[in-house]
Amino acid sequence: MNPAVAALIERSAIADWLGFSVQEDDGGLVYALAFDEIHIGNPLIRAIHGGVIAAFLEVAAQCEIAAALGPRAIVKTVNLDIDYLTSSRAQPMQARARITRMGRRLAFVEATGWQASEKKPVAKAQFRLRIGSAD
Amino acid sequence: MTSDIHPSIGAMLNNARDWLTHEHSLFQSLNLEPVLLGKGKATFVVDLPEAFTSEEDVIHGGLMTIIMDSIFGLTVFTALEELKPIATINLRIDYIANAKAGARAVCAAQCIAVNDDIAHVSGELKIEDSGLLLATGAGSFMVGTRGPVKGSRL
Repeated sequence: MNPAVAALIERSAIADWLGFSVQEDDGGLVYALAFDEIHIGNPLIRAIHGGVIAAFLEVAAQCEIAAALGPRAIVKTVNLDIDYLTSSRAQPMQARARITRMGRRLAFVEATGWQASEKKPVAKAQFRLRIGSAD
Repeated sequence: MTSDIHPSIGAMLNNARDWLTHEHSLFQSLNLEPVLLGKGKATFVVDLPEAFTSEEDVIHGGLMTIIMDSIFGLTVFTALEELKPIATINLRIDYIANAKAGARAVCAAQCIAVNDDIAHVSGELKIEDSGLLLATGAGSFMVGTRGPVKGSRL
């Protein structure tokens, strides 16, 4: 795994709570949210909590920045907008994050999560992140 | 429970409160405690547990979004005249300040309007003791989604 991404996940307790993991394919990094009963929002419809989906996509967006900037990167989310495009199921979720624009102090990242098929996104979020370096 | 909430909604919220605080693992770990429930408004106090930090003892913003989505959904229910399933359409969250793990936070939300089956909600999250503003948010919810009639989107 990219060492900067590994370091970010290692120091992040919420990544552990999410069951967050990363793989790489030809299209880049693919992030995964493990299914866990604690991620369920409404037990009657067995959907993943919308806030949990947002948190998952936010960690994915931060990892994408870390992968681009390296292990000394400092990443802090300023704000986010998330659209819930379809209902989720009690299953794992995958996501990709794409850097729309990265400046010296600010980055814009779009993250998309899906379950059954990447062609059917469950949620799409835009993040604005304050970035810097520990150096 | 205040009397201006529709009785059927009030009964559901009472049930939801028991379920939130005693049975459901996510909300149990957040130790949700209602402070105010009125028609179109809800205030809850919540824990910010160490399990949700981004580094050392700083709470990850994702927990703030989890809390606000939850309380926003409950707030929509307080505004309804009859029990209907709801679903989050979208959220906008601004992270204003960092919070340390172990603190208690207050989330206050109001349902601004329910028009044409769309509920509009806004709210904020503050540190309970100091009043420090942690995050502000706004969201919209679909009212009357397909699904279990007694469902609550939380």
